[in-house]
Amino acid sequence: MSEKKDYNYNSPSKFNDEMKTIPAARRPTELEKARLGTMTAMVSSFGLPRIIISGFLLVLFILTPVVGVDLPTQITNIINRFSWNAVLVLAMVPMIHAGCGLNFGLPLAIICGLLGGTLSIQLGFTGAMSFLMAVLIATPFAVILGGGYGLLLNRIKGGEMMIATYVGFSVMSFFCMMWLLLPYSSPTMVYGLSGNGLRPTISLDGFYNQVLAEVLHIKIGNIEIPTGSLLVFALLAFLMWAFLHTKTGTAMTAVGSNAAFARAAGINVDRTRMLSVIMSTWLGAMGILMYQQGFGFIQLYNAPNNLTMPTVAAILIGGASVNKASIPNVIIGTILFQGIVTMTPTVMNSAIHMDMSEVIRIIASQGMILYALTRKTEGAK
Amino acid sequence: MKTKRRVAFSLLLALILVAVAAAMMVIGRGHTVYFDNKTLEDYQGQTYKAANKIVVTVKGEEVAKLGPRERGMSIWIGQDFKMVLEITQEKGGESEIREIDLKLPYNVDGIVVNLPALLAGLPEEAWFSEFVPAETEAPEEEVTGDEFGLDGGMGLEDELGLEDGLGDI
Amino acid sequence: MKEKKNIPAGKRILELVRNNAVPIMFIIICAVFIPMAGFSPSYLLNEIITRMGRNLFLVLCLLFPIMAGMGLNFAMTLGAMGAEIAVILVADWQIWGIPGVVLSMILSIPFSAFLGFICGTLQNMAKGREMITSYIINFFINGWYQLIVLYVMGAVIPIIHASIMLPRGYGIRNTVSLLNMRQCLDDLLAIRVSGVKIPVLTFLLVGVFCLFIIWFRRTKLGQDMRAVGQDLEVAKAAGINVDRTRIISVVMSTVCAGFGMVIYLQNIGNLPTYTGHAQIGMFCIAALLVGGASVEKASIGNAFLGVILFHLMFIVAPGAGAFITGDSMVGEYFRVFLSYGVITLALIMYEAKKRMVKSKAGQMLANAQKEEEAAR
Repeated sequence: MSEKKDYNYNSPSKFNDEMKTIPAARRPTELEKARLGTMTAMVSSFGLPRIIISGFLLVLFILTPVVGVDLPTQITNIINRFSWNAVLVLAMVPMIHAGCGLNFGLPLAIICGLLGGTLSIQLGFTGAMSFLMAVLIATPFAVILGGGYGLLLNRIKGGEMMIATYVGFSVMSFFCMMWLLLPYSSPTMVYGLSGNGLRPTISLDGFYNQVLAEVLHIKIGNIEIPTGSLLVFALLAFLMWAFLHTKTGTAMTAVGSNAAFARAAGINVDRTRMLSVIMSTWLGAMGILMYQQGFGFIQLYNAPNNLTMPTVAAILIGGASVNKASIPNVIIGTILFQGIVTMTPTVMNSAIHMDMSEVIRIIASQGMILYALTRKTEGAK
Repeated sequence: MKTKRRVAFSLLLALILVAVAAAMMVIGRGHTVYFDNKTLEDYQGQTYKAANKIVVTVKGEEVAKLGPRERGMSIWIGQDFKMVLEITQEKGGESEIREIDLKLPYNVDGIVVNLPALLAGLPEEAWFSEFVPAETEAPEEEVTGDEFGLDGGMGLEDELGLEDGLGDI
Repeated sequence: MKEKKNIPAGKRILELVRNNAVPIMFIIICAVFIPMAGFSPSYLLNEIITRMGRNLFLVLCLLFPIMAGMGLNFAMTLGAMGAEIAVILVADWQIWGIPGVVLSMILSIPFSAFLGFICGTLQNMAKGREMITSYIINFFINGWYQLIVLYVMGAVIPIIHASIMLPRGYGIRNTVSLLNMRQCLDDLLAIRVSGVKIPVLTFLLVGVFCLFIIWFRRTKLGQDMRAVGQDLEVAKAAGINVDRTRIISVVMSTVCAGFGMVIYLQNIGNLPTYTGHAQIGMFCIAALLVGGASVEKASIGNAFLGVILFHLMFIVAPGAGAFITGDSMVGEYFRVFLSYGVITLALIMYEAKKRMVKSKAGQMLANAQKEEEAAR
């Protein structure tokens, strides 16, 4: 890495100012804004699909008491689901920042988490200790697999998303075989009859089910708050935020916004990207452990695939784009998405006796991803 | 000029396709024909007795061998139904072969033909009736609708080979 | 050509192996697996012939977008969905046999063309990431498909027969029986050679489609498409309407995929309403790639070889897995892994090559500039 001193990227403020000039090109200029009127300007900056989704959620909220659904239960559900999913969504941030696009390779990260979880149980840990050990065991896997994944993505710049998707699939299907073949023996996990091969769903009762959620658990009326989980998310989000403001973090943003520019500024693009992928993978592994901790089950085989699209959609709904994401995007996106996931079935069912939630969820989330992909994007790769 | 020709050509093509589709709708309409060898009681004061044995042949294939009060069936594509009947009125008696052409109504899926009435040359209302399938309310779960696509299995156990689904989303 | 002759034979073989690494790998896999699985040759042959008839048409549809440089069309599933809607309607109208198949094909055209047009337009908005976009479109349209089939059909679109409807009165059942359409194409003109059924008519259709592709390549539109595929900017400079050409290529692919899906469904004999199309795109793409195609180049030969090898692997993998590990599930996961793996590999090779060419071009440009400066 050639440390060119002529560009002072030690000063984040100056650097950030520089960065702001780049994506601004696609924002409507002041003149345009004036022409469009404030309303349309807001629409164009916030994005029409996002407004539709927020509006939809708002309507659901308003409808909730009208159709006789218990609002506190709904809110509890949303908070709970937020605590399960937020870390997974957070895992999207580093890769988006480094210009690696949306991490459709999330199954890879989830596999690391699954390895951590299953090995921790296999080694006989129980209770809160099993969660800690799961995190510890998952970490080296995340670093190694993430490193390899980053190496690969560095060789195929520009085509990350498609390849990430299929790397995720390949790893997942490879581990489908491994779950059957690896010599796991813990009776809570393996198939009862044959004694080899892991079950598709493993209950976490007695292991790390709810271990974080029960820490400082708050109950106000009918609303329950899993404070521990939220605190862990807050901690990770804060660390993420802090990291993005360090030297390396700003370098990452620079790489994501304009790789050529970053290279000229003396940043080792490949290494930065690799770091972002490893971070993403580790956060993904953490994310799935958090998810299991709340959900109460480890799901193996093809289950990792089911989390990819919701996670990607969530961060996009929160306001991120293919190469721009922030912590608020994560929080808003997860709340909005999980809000729709939890509210639609109950509210629609009681309102019109027709459960269209599945279809609505697919159309909304995929539409959001499609919208992000088809926007004329900023920043040359 | 060239665009005009192209438009004309595409219109012609579309027209041909619509025409073919319309033709297919007419000639491809499938019907199920049921044959009843059942005594028709008291039709305008007369009773038409079931034959001892009727062998029904459709398209050179024997589809049913009917004793009294028996029912056979055959499928037929199109509206001009043809069948050959070999009728034995009395046990051990001589059999008689008759070719029969029927015009099947387009809108009816299942057509029940009362053979004794038909063979006696009665008007249509005597031998024709519509087959109404019994309502079978098999409780069936729909495939989508798990809470979060969480158990969207791969369906690898599917015998058909390549129909494996990977869960939805 | 002359230069090639001078290359020693050993090197030429090496080159051949390197260029056809994937098919050769699959030939080896199949060669190892076939004895393990222990199927009789006539069974294997029968299966392969059936699956060729069933899938070839679908796989060939992928050639058009590759011609136009849009990569692997993951959104060919859209055509499959169009065909499924058509087939549901035709099954409800009780049009049977060959007329039913023909009617389904004709009826699928407007649906597939419309969906293909949407897909092409969206892909034009996302140049440079057509593939991931087509991949997502696939899920997006699947949502709309479910909306239509699950809620609109029977409620808004009249469905006459209760037998294909969900008991609640609207929406289509999980499976729609196509018993009266089953294998009607395959059985007509079919010949049997020592127990192996050859669906001549289906193969004839595939043959006509191949001829069409060969002919199409030579037409003005086909030439334009290839020009667009080679270099967007050059094609634009040559006065080709790039966006339109690309949309046409996707629409053609989607419409043909609709035909292919009808052939596929008449062979299967029933329609899995909500899962039938889900993996069609993935498996067809894997098959094409196994045949030695790449993201930017694919031929009819690749499609044939690919379907044979891929399906051979697919048939024997569970048996071989059971033989090696005692668990046939391992084999089933292994074949899925191979399908994904081969797509991953092809994508990686394509992107790596694209980057190499780019950097080479950059180097050449730099060298040229240097020379120019030196000449001054």
